[in-house]
Amino acid sequence: MESHLDYHAHNNGLREVNTLFKVLFAISTMLICVASPSPFLPLFVFMLVPMLLVFLAKIPYKFYLRFISAPFLFAFITFLYMSLFFGTGELWIHLGSIGPLNLAIYGDGIQLGFLVFSRMLGAFSCLVFLAFTTPMTELFSMMHTIRIPAIMVELAMLMYRFIFLFLDEAGKMHHAQKTRLGYSDWRSCLRCGGMLAGNLFIRTWFQGEKLHIAMESRGYNGNLKTMKKIKYPGSLSIILLISFEILLLAGIYMTMNIQII
Amino acid sequence: MNVIETREITYQYPDGTLALKNVNFRASKGMMVALLGPNGAGKSTLFLHFNGILRPTSGEVRVEDRPLGYKKEDLMKVRQKVGIVFQNPDDQLFAPTVMEDVAFGPLNMGLDLEEVEKRVKDALGKVGMAGYEKKPPHHLSGGQKKRVAIAGILAMQPEIMVLDEPTSGLDPKGASQILRILYQLNQEGMSIVISTHDVDLVPLYASQVYIINEGSIIKEGTPHEVFSDVKTIRSANLRLPRIAHLMEILEKEDSLPFDKPYPLTIGEARRKILESFKD
Repeated sequence: MESHLDYHAHNNGLREVNTLFKVLFAISTMLICVASPSPFLPLFVFMLVPMLLVFLAKIPYKFYLRFISAPFLFAFITFLYMSLFFGTGELWIHLGSIGPLNLAIYGDGIQLGFLVFSRMLGAFSCLVFLAFTTPMTELFSMMHTIRIPAIMVELAMLMYRFIFLFLDEAGKMHHAQKTRLGYSDWRSCLRCGGMLAGNLFIRTWFQGEKLHIAMESRGYNGNLKTMKKIKYPGSLSIILLISFEILLLAGIYMTMNIQII
Repeated sequence: MNVIETREITYQYPDGTLALKNVNFRASKGMMVALLGPNGAGKSTLFLHFNGILRPTSGEVRVEDRPLGYKKEDLMKVRQKVGIVFQNPDDQLFAPTVMEDVAFGPLNMGLDLEEVEKRVKDALGKVGMAGYEKKPPHHLSGGQKKRVAIAGILAMQPEIMVLDEPTSGLDPKGASQILRILYQLNQEGMSIVISTHDVDLVPLYASQVYIINEGSIIKEGTPHEVFSDVKTIRSANLRLPRIAHLMEILEKEDSLPFDKPYPLTIGEARRKILESFKD
């Protein structure tokens, strides 16, 4: 329970900070990261976010590290690939060749790879910030306010609710299968996995039908109405936010011509 | 006045199975009616007729002494009047927070936000879940989910609440909390129909009992009338309340002077035992 992203989103030090403020912070910083021509500022964001999460939001750092490790690995692989296969110009290191394949690292390949690496991590950090500090439920009402089509918000809401039922159900079936010695070798793993997936599909189907009956019983007529009420952040926090983003942009401007090698 | 009445309704599933056979059921205003029956007897199917989700193959459903209409506007009205709480709260709770889930019905009724908020607050207060407004349903326990599901129906201010197995799957404390809430609501004038196979609880709360088996009502009356017909009770895969069963054994096996009607609750048994000791 406590190692659950959803748990942290509901119980963290930044929970009560205005949602719109958090969303604006995350989105604008993310856009700047993705568009940044300099690798340093996104890396700065990548360093800043864990500080905010661990010290202000009181998220356990181990949980954060575990969470970020997957995208970090992914970004790192991207970096390796790009430095190996991109770039022309000045040869930096020649690693030798395998048959027709020439393994060489070029200076601008590294440059480009590093930029992509930092953009990915910077932007992802912004999303992680949002995911860790803001419950999905508040994001839904936010989506409503910024006029995302109702049908998409409704689908997202139902999906969010059903993820947990789905996990529950899958977990129960998994236990039931293991109790009767399922998953004992790779063959039975395949078979059990297949049965679980198939059964889950059928159950979901029935669940959907039951939900529909329950919703109809409460007067559902095709569109979900939600209680949208949105609180706007104070002007001070807006000014703070804008200054922060301007500083980021200034930082980018100053570092955009620095070469890392 | 009968809030809900069915006259000779029969329902046949598309595959031809006869799920209900000439069912006559009445729930009068302010009463707590229990529908007792084994699994698969047709309890849930009958309930789905009460708010027009299912339409009887023959016969008539009446709500507040008027035939139920199956036009869209009529159904909206009926579903506000007849609130059904489903057996598994996970089938019913779908919104991301407790607040939004309870608000779902009132919002569908087209009430304004202020009124909706007031009703949500009232309803959650009545089921003892005030303070949980912002929680997502998957962070609640089974009993809490059930209470939120009840609040979701209460917030629509129905004339009658219909609950399918309200205590199934709950621990004893959770179950008695639910029953206490229902008892309280009933005291305040809410008409209630519950389906259950918990025969020990029925005599405590219900004023009228129906027994359904294989799609037919086989017995109706007060708890004492129904449970005095031991043969019918057993033929429907049900049993006497434990206390009544004990009294039956004491009378038949040990020839103690406890004759029919057997007491159904601990309170009644206590009185009876004290009386016979005095003699």
